[in-house]
Amino acid sequence: MKPFQYLRPKTVQEAISMATDNPGAQYIAGGTNLVDLMKRGIASPPKLIDINHLPLKKIEHRYDRLRIGALALNSDVARHKGVVARQPLLAQALLAGASGQLRNMATVGGNLLQRTRCSYFYDLALPCNKRQPGSGCGAEGGVNRTHAIFFAGNGFGGYEASSCIAVHPSDMCVALTALETNVVVNGPEGERRVMMKDFHRLSTQQPELDTYLRPGELLTAIEVVDNAFAKHSHYLKVRDRASYAFALVSVAAALQMDGGRIWDARMALGGVAHKPWRYWAIDLMLRGQAPSEKLFQEVAEHEMQSAEATAQNAFKIKLTTNAMVAALKTAAGIS
Amino acid sequence: MKRQSWDNPSDTSLTRVDGAAKVSGGATYSAEYAIPELVHAVLVTSTIAKGSITAIEAHEAEAAPGVLAVISHLNVMTVPGWPAKKQPAERAQVGTALRVFYDPLIYFDGQPVAMVVAGTHEQAVHAASLVCVTYRKESHQTDFEKNAGKAAVPLNVQRSGNSPFKDYERGDAAALRQAEVKIEAEYIIPTQHHQPLEPHAIIAVWEADDKLTVYDKNQGVKSVQGQLAQAFKLPRENVQVVARYVGGAFGSGIRVWPHTLAAVIAAKQVKRPVKLVLGRDQMFTSVGYRPYTVQKIGLGASADGRLTGIVHEGTGQTSMYEEHLERTVLASRALYACPSVLTRYRLLPLDVNTPTWMRGPGDATGMFALESAMDELAFALKMDPLDFRLKNYAESDPERNLPWSAKSLRECYELGAEKFGWKNRMQAPRSVRQNGMLVGYGMASSLYGFHRHPSKARAVMQADGSVVVQSATMDIGPGTGTAMTRIAAKVLGLNAKKIRFELGHSALPDAPGQNGSSTIPSVGSAVHDACEALKNRLAALAGDMEARFRSGGQAVVRNGQLFASEGDKDGLSYADILKHHHLNELEVTGESKQGAERDQYSMYSFGCHFVEVQVGELTGEVRVTRVVTCADVGTIINYKTARSQSIGGVVGGIGMALMEESVMDHRFGRYVTSDFASYHIPVHADVPPIEVYYIDKPDMLADPIGSKGLGEIAIVGVAGAIANAVFNATGKRIRHLPITPDKLI
Amino acid sequence: MDIDAIPPDAENEDRRFFLKQSMLIAGLSMAPADLLHAALVPDDGPVGNAVKVKVSLTVNGKRKRVTIDPRMTLLDLLREHLGLTGTKKGCDFGQCGACTVHIDGRRALSCLTFALMQHGAKITTIEGLSDGEKLHPLQEAFIKHDGLQCGYCTPGQVMSAVACIREGCAGSAPEVREYMSGNLCRCGAYPNIVDAILEVKKEGLKV
Repeated sequence: MKPFQYLRPKTVQEAISMATDNPGAQYIAGGTNLVDLMKRGIASPPKLIDINHLPLKKIEHRYDRLRIGALALNSDVARHKGVVARQPLLAQALLAGASGQLRNMATVGGNLLQRTRCSYFYDLALPCNKRQPGSGCGAEGGVNRTHAIFFAGNGFGGYEASSCIAVHPSDMCVALTALETNVVVNGPEGERRVMMKDFHRLSTQQPELDTYLRPGELLTAIEVVDNAFAKHSHYLKVRDRASYAFALVSVAAALQMDGGRIWDARMALGGVAHKPWRYWAIDLMLRGQAPSEKLFQEVAEHEMQSAEATAQNAFKIKLTTNAMVAALKTAAGIS
Repeated sequence: MKRQSWDNPSDTSLTRVDGAAKVSGGATYSAEYAIPELVHAVLVTSTIAKGSITAIEAHEAEAAPGVLAVISHLNVMTVPGWPAKKQPAERAQVGTALRVFYDPLIYFDGQPVAMVVAGTHEQAVHAASLVCVTYRKESHQTDFEKNAGKAAVPLNVQRSGNSPFKDYERGDAAALRQAEVKIEAEYIIPTQHHQPLEPHAIIAVWEADDKLTVYDKNQGVKSVQGQLAQAFKLPRENVQVVARYVGGAFGSGIRVWPHTLAAVIAAKQVKRPVKLVLGRDQMFTSVGYRPYTVQKIGLGASADGRLTGIVHEGTGQTSMYEEHLERTVLASRALYACPSVLTRYRLLPLDVNTPTWMRGPGDATGMFALESAMDELAFALKMDPLDFRLKNYAESDPERNLPWSAKSLRECYELGAEKFGWKNRMQAPRSVRQNGMLVGYGMASSLYGFHRHPSKARAVMQADGSVVVQSATMDIGPGTGTAMTRIAAKVLGLNAKKIRFELGHSALPDAPGQNGSSTIPSVGSAVHDACEALKNRLAALAGDMEARFRSGGQAVVRNGQLFASEGDKDGLSYADILKHHHLNELEVTGESKQGAERDQYSMYSFGCHFVEVQVGELTGEVRVTRVVTCADVGTIINYKTARSQSIGGVVGGIGMALMEESVMDHRFGRYVTSDFASYHIPVHADVPPIEVYYIDKPDMLADPIGSKGLGEIAIVGVAGAIANAVFNATGKRIRHLPITPDKLI
Repeated sequence: MDIDAIPPDAENEDRRFFLKQSMLIAGLSMAPADLLHAALVPDDGPVGNAVKVKVSLTVNGKRKRVTIDPRMTLLDLLREHLGLTGTKKGCDFGQCGACTVHIDGRRALSCLTFALMQHGAKITTIEGLSDGEKLHPLQEAFIKHDGLQCGYCTPGQVMSAVACIREGCAGSAPEVREYMSGNLCRCGAYPNIVDAILEVKKEGLKV
């Protein structure tokens, strides 16, 4: 690890100034990903801005939304009464990720910004466009059992040969995507709100970038607007061992039901794309329908038409389909 | 044979003698000795699989703060025990252990090519990242399947007349072809790594120019002592090896690996004590692994379920510079009564590091295939898999035509089946659903050859009647000290609290390394014999004191006292005996080795496992929900720690069956699963309650304590039982481990 | 390296830097003795540069002031500088749980945090869990249930187990298994560890 200088700001503005004044400096919060990356030489910031002492830990319900400070710990969010009552999908997703120790360290902001766990990204001796643009995607012709099956599309320009087939590793972000969360960002040009769908990037260009954050910007909070999904939501994570493993595939399913019919539906998928993958059409397909396995199967297969397997992950197309069906059944209460 | 239980029920068991030290952080492992002037080393490893180093640019690293040296083949000291280097460098003959920093040749990706030594760990890690190595690459071969055609009879077997690994045939070679019912299938086990929680580590200290002490993680201090003495041409006693606590090993510490030598070399060159701890990624290539193995099995039976023919062929991967052989196909010769058996064993050399023994070496691999095949044939025969095994029960060793020294496998089957509720199993797959999951039952047999090596132990009675027992044996986790304490306590009739067992130091009496489930039979016997000898000495001394002790051989021990006979009410305390003779201590050394019984009887441990799994029909996730494991390993010395060892074996088997796979990108010959996030081992949530039962009948032909060792048999067969349960649940036969969701949906 | 062991030159240089920082924090109204005290216990974070920083933290109830390389993790601080080797290094990347300690009362991985980030924090390690010679109830339960074999993951398991009960996540065997899954054990002591935790929880002993 390269030597670095350590800065500890007391206010958000001070932190942003430090970042602006020191190009290459990085914010550090829980450290569960950045310390890892620094040890491996994948990140080597000359200066670390420790934001843990900024007042960004609060979780509160204000007006029509739950506002969660960017420094709230994953474990605190997962067990917060307001979160459990209003947004159980988020709590479930958080508890499906990492371990008790890591959830005690990792923050909401850090979780949003965690980098892929692709083996090629993590090994300096192997090619990786994300780590070293232009070196090639090691996974594309290599070991890609756990890699992406969705690349672009949904009206954003269709499939394009990808320069990075890594997947986003977060569970929390899958739930946040389904819940149409806003990310509150502060920066040199002031505060702005970014919708989850616009927060992370697909990898068709500049795979070295995971998000659309601008230089110096600091995550300060997320906001989940109240909804009626609490009774019928489910986070399903399929993995190679029973716990403490990244998802092969995960599904955040949220339904609003009344009188035996579905009146609103949202879904996002994890472990399948460079960002949490939103299934946009699901609401149209389920609205007004009575839940059934057959219906869910059709709906799942519909989205998978745009999926494309690499050499070793064809199974993910079936697995994702099945996981969507299973998650929808549980959410609808018909399993 | 008379049932002679040492230790059942469990409440008479000793708790682990080093338990308090381990739960309170007081146990000192290899990297944890506070040595003055200690400096830190970090290995730089190759990023190509074959070729040679053309340059090492180390100036920047050497100039980095705190750096004492960058050691490579360019500036390494001459290791006196190694042959002179050839110019130009020549590839090593097969059978040559890798000599670290010896020449510029690269044999595998991850090979140590340089080592940075610096004042602190942080400085060493940083400087290691500054070392720039350039290579001349040669094309490498690491893909087993692409190179399978190059598998050959091991040179080792070609050269040796009576190798157990040579082709074996009994009965009629055509038996399988003519069988009324038969199955033929191929089974694959991927490369799997030991990955003990403690990474391999060493602190090397040159106490003088010709005097070396190493605090090294290994499974045999005597073997490390011998090998270091040889490499550095030192008298054996000038090398001391300390490994009092070893944080798991499972076979990874049986050999002396290149990094150990590297640290000793570095300590010599920088003239400071050097600490080297392998990174978790380096644990994939700096030490060995369970080799990728492909097996073909053909089984034939008569329509009523009698085995008529077994063909078992196995090919394991090895490195280009060494042959690693293991018992992959051997169980098929001995486990079942079958008139015609043919086995073949081949090795496939690849540009990889050398594999090594991993818990249940060979047998865990081979028995996955054999016990899966037995399940497949039972299904084809429409027979219950347990009935099928009982029908082909071998009453004597069909391979060597010898009686078993002891075998209670039938009792294991019966006990295990009863405790598990095997009778509730449905023969047809996909018959049972519970909570939306498919439920399946599976079982498998287990066996492991008996190993006992010559061993010594010293027992020293102190003036207060307490005893220190010593042997250069090891404890990599099973609880060696606890078991030995129990043996000494029983022989001497002494409260275990008055006994201290010392191990893990090369200055102690000779003992074999901890491997092949041989510790209890070897060292336990030596401890037994030493304590018997001590008892006899005490009786002789007592005879000098009182006439009633002169009868010879009748003395009985109880509560730290010697009695003239069973009915004798007045004992002489050990302390009084020593005091009477003005002795500060009384020392005896016992040596124990196998007698002629080894040639007259066939000796094995046996066992079986019963497993219930639940499989998510949509997600393909397998969860083991219940396990009953039952073993016949002779006397159980200490039930509590034995039970833990059995549980541990099952957990290892769960990993082997469901998740462990070291995956290489063959374009680079480099592992892409090089950490615990990508190489999965079981976590708490993967492990259900595990019931453990023992037959607990001593095998007095094996050794004087009647015990046969447990470490390996605990895992052998588990993967097969799980795969069989998965078949029963889903109707899908998975022959290529691990059984991950992709294979079941 | 303890603060007292810094070579004189470095010490002076550090102290000048240190004092300068402290004065900025404390203002100039303090007496010299107070200044010195403030210098040794800055509220504001560790003081130093990219080569060396002074960090103050509480470990097992004792205040520790150390001068360290900023790159040093909390784990390496404990093991290499404070001689507290009970906290284990299993993977150094947050994937095994062997390095689990309590930071301000919560279980955390000491390998994934820089020691300087813990300036001002209260750390409890396995060595600080027992009350003198008297073992903590969970340590006793681990021994009783043989929830260990090689012992290397054990301190992390115990620290995690204490937290697991305190967090209220030890209500059933499946819950314990899930909430303990961040602590790998290669020997496979899992079922015995679960038994130990459930027993302590059931007996309602103070953890």
